[in-house]
Amino acid sequence: MTTQDFCIKWGVYGLALLPVWFCQAFVLNRLPFLPLVPMVLPLAAVAVAVLEGAVAGGGFGLAVGILCDVVYFGTNGAMTVGICVAGIAAGALAQYLLRQNLVGCLLCSLLALAGIDGVRILARLLRGETALRAMLTLAGQEIVLSLLFAFPVYALFLWVYRRVPKKTVL
Amino acid sequence: MKDFFRRNGLLILIAAILIALVTAVVSALLGGTADPFSNLANVITTPVRNAINGVVNWTEERYSDAFAQEQLKQENEELKKRVAELEEKEREYEAALQENERYRNLLDLRPKERSFDELESAMVTARETSNWASTLTLSKGSAQGVEVDDTVVDEYWNLVGVVAEVGENWCTVRTLIDSDTQLGGQITRTGGAAILEGDLALMGEGKLKLTFLPENSQLMSGDLVTTSGRGGIYPAGLVAGHVEEVRTDASGISQYAVIVPETDLDSLRQVFIIKEFHIVE
Repeated sequence: MTTQDFCIKWGVYGLALLPVWFCQAFVLNRLPFLPLVPMVLPLAAVAVAVLEGAVAGGGFGLAVGILCDVVYFGTNGAMTVGICVAGIAAGALAQYLLRQNLVGCLLCSLLALAGIDGVRILARLLRGETALRAMLTLAGQEIVLSLLFAFPVYALFLWVYRRVPKKTVL
Repeated sequence: MKDFFRRNGLLILIAAILIALVTAVVSALLGGTADPFSNLANVITTPVRNAINGVVNWTEERYSDAFAQEQLKQENEELKKRVAELEEKEREYEAALQENERYRNLLDLRPKERSFDELESAMVTARETSNWASTLTLSKGSAQGVEVDDTVVDEYWNLVGVVAEVGENWCTVRTLIDSDTQLGGQITRTGGAAILEGDLALMGEGKLKLTFLPENSQLMSGDLVTTSGRGGIYPAGLVAGHVEEVRTDASGISQYAVIVPETDLDSLRQVFIIKEFHIVE
């Protein structure tokens, strides 16, 4: 793959990320019928990781992580590492243990979301918060609701994946 | 896995850790001023936020015009009754005020003073995107003199929250129901001091709690809670909310009151940032 192909490919993935970011930052938090705000940005990193593999997943996860740190309040850089690791792990899992399809993406999304909320809960417990049950309930509801959005997010990136050059120099 | 390391996987991971470390250190050093990434992204997306906000507000107004007329009529009737009640109370209040002033003069006390020298009007341009915090993004920032810990109120002087992060032309307000919020409160009927505290479980219901209640405090549903102003960071006398009920905490030893905020956080459009205040009690 030429450098130009490489740039076009990841440019297109970047463009596909725009509507996901837009929904996360401006739409999903304003919908009155949703009981919670789903986390869709990490799902984008997982979807690309499942389709493209561990290294590409890590790279895209790094970019999505930086975006997450901008979008979510008070994360102070934790999302950059978290989503990057989630991308690498999801890519490796899909490549070697699961399948690079929707089911694989759903399982990896579940693990990634559980990981993110697990770290959040751990950080709060370390800060002295004691409402573990409230935190677990919130995390559970958030994960279930977010997983519903894994379908459209995966469909979007699968559509992109089928239209971009396959081999990457990463 | 060998393949992962051969194909720059480790480099990506190291880059992520480095970027995260730099962001964390810069955030800690700047103490509330937004880190460069967040600042740049929010400055760039300001027009998008403003445009979306405009569209949403316009849609809500059209919806109200079309479907909420009956509700508005009813509300109007209730408000007329409330105005009549308040006018009567105001007449009593005027008399009490004059009497109080005479006593103050008699005792040679410093006159009570409550002035908010610098107020900055700001529009709510975005709302929190995660379920773990309750924040609002406003259209004013450091360029307009907004600072971390400035208090934010609505048009009725109800407490909205406190500025937690400031960027060039935007700031993030941690609302009073956020689980990290903690400020001094005062029960207006009894004068007792307590702590207004956000709670993760109550945050989802749009409420907060009042802890460290004064001993033998007989709280009643509807009791008004204001900011106490202790510590001098936040002004006193801003209405936070009213008591809904009193509960016993998980340990079974102490009690806390559930507070319903007086401000309607979901429908806020315009707020006021108190940049400077002067209060003599």
